[in-house]
Amino acid sequence: MDAAAEALLRQTVRRIPSSKLNGVLGRWGCLSEAQLGSLESMQPKWLLCDNLISLCRENDLSMKHVAEVEMLYCIENPKRGMWYAYQMVETDDEAQSLELMHFRERFKAHLKDLIGHVSIKLKRHQDESVWIRIAWGDNFNRPNHLKPTYVMHHLQTPYVFVSGLTNKHKPLLFQALVLAAGYSSIKNAHLNGRCITALRDLLMRQYKQVFPSSCPKPLKESNPLPNPNIENEHAKLVEHKQRAAAEAFGYEDPPKLERATYKLETKYREHGNESLNGRDEPFRGVVKFTSSNLLESLKYCITSGAYLFHSGKYHTLELLICCLNYHSCFPSFL
Amino acid sequence: MSSIKPFSKLPQLNTANVLLVENEGKLQNDLADAIVQQENNVNVTVRLARGLPLPAENEENRPRIDLVVFIVHLSSELSLVSTENSLKQLDTGYFLGKVCFLVTGARCGLVPDERLVSLRKLAGSLHCPLLFAEDQTREGVSTAAQRVLKILRVSAGLVPMVTGLYLSSLTRCTVPLDSDGSVQD
Repeated sequence: MDAAAEALLRQTVRRIPSSKLNGVLGRWGCLSEAQLGSLESMQPKWLLCDNLISLCRENDLSMKHVAEVEMLYCIENPKRGMWYAYQMVETDDEAQSLELMHFRERFKAHLKDLIGHVSIKLKRHQDESVWIRIAWGDNFNRPNHLKPTYVMHHLQTPYVFVSGLTNKHKPLLFQALVLAAGYSSIKNAHLNGRCITALRDLLMRQYKQVFPSSCPKPLKESNPLPNPNIENEHAKLVEHKQRAAAEAFGYEDPPKLERATYKLETKYREHGNESLNGRDEPFRGVVKFTSSNLLESLKYCITSGAYLFHSGKYHTLELLICCLNYHSCFPSFL
Repeated sequence: MSSIKPFSKLPQLNTANVLLVENEGKLQNDLADAIVQQENNVNVTVRLARGLPLPAENEENRPRIDLVVFIVHLSSELSLVSTENSLKQLDTGYFLGKVCFLVTGARCGLVPDERLVSLRKLAGSLHCPLLFAEDQTREGVSTAAQRVLKILRVSAGLVPMVTGLYLSSLTRCTVPLDSDGSVQD
């Protein structure tokens, strides 16, 4: 086991919390039961690491195996880095359906053509997604495993999530991906964050948006056994609002969106006051929304409503529902 | 929109009905659960509303309301304003011992003093009890429920020899003295 593999193993073991270490090593499968048992988790981390390295030497493991540990941990805990979402676009209409082996061969071949010294690892996860770990090198250096790039891709969709990619390697990776998957180009989906499942849900619209229908089905009871002694005077209104919120944002918990930025650039036009019209510079505006969970808080706004009891009339936040129609008005997330 | 009257419907046996009016709708649910859980001897029904007047479609099913509790959150100006508007819609018969105010957030330092003072003046001018409650913990909510239940039993006529009018003379809100010593009414 060479120095680089040792360094990677140390770095990986440092990052994995002790509670999860045994689980990850068990799933790795490169150490025997006896060896796993000999590693006590109550030791200090550096001692554990030394023992682990000596065990790996016994088993004659190499960089390849060590990279697998890191990849296993990253797949189970993708929250460590910032993930950026990209979408692949094709100009011709035929959609190619790909299967894993095909994609894998093509991707490896293309990337190795573009840059000679890379180390690639592909893994298929249970939920039909492909995880790729890439360590970049160049003509003078061996592949640097301490700073790998991770890519997650669902084969039948055009979306790709990337973490840890430098600008130097970006065009190479994109070209290899696009050629391997059979698309014609790739563009930025303007969506990034730490929680990859939220990004995936948002992009692939896996959380269901219900469209308003003229005969709405009754909502499921949110409280399991409503107390017969408690009655809400505005029960119908409350139900109407909950339905409106569910139609706009879905019945389950919405994905966690923390920041949304709207950029507007338009020509100013006002009918009454002509002084500002016809300027050359367009009017620009930026609106930023920040929250710990934007969609959840907007959904709560709709269900709680804005009640103004002035002579029996009330206003609700239906304006927001129109603004936030997912399919048309969300130009960019940042 | 219907207005409720204190004696327009017949009372039911061993029953007490309370109406909780709160603009935000946050505390009413927990308070209603706590009230219903704590009372074992009497059938207590809790009705929840965001403001008065109440929607007309529930008129037939609604029982006689024995006590109206206005929940005011001092942290929001809207709460006080909507309570004042609702008070105007309430039938005057209720002010003889069947109205009570429940205030939360009085200990918070960020709340401007004028709100509490104006609320105390309002409760004092209407001769209604003013209760302070702590809504962030479960014990606070259950304590508030106990106090509301005590007043409810009296207003519903379930305590012998005591009516709401006696109670209001004992528990009505008194307004603090002015700085020059004269009592404000």
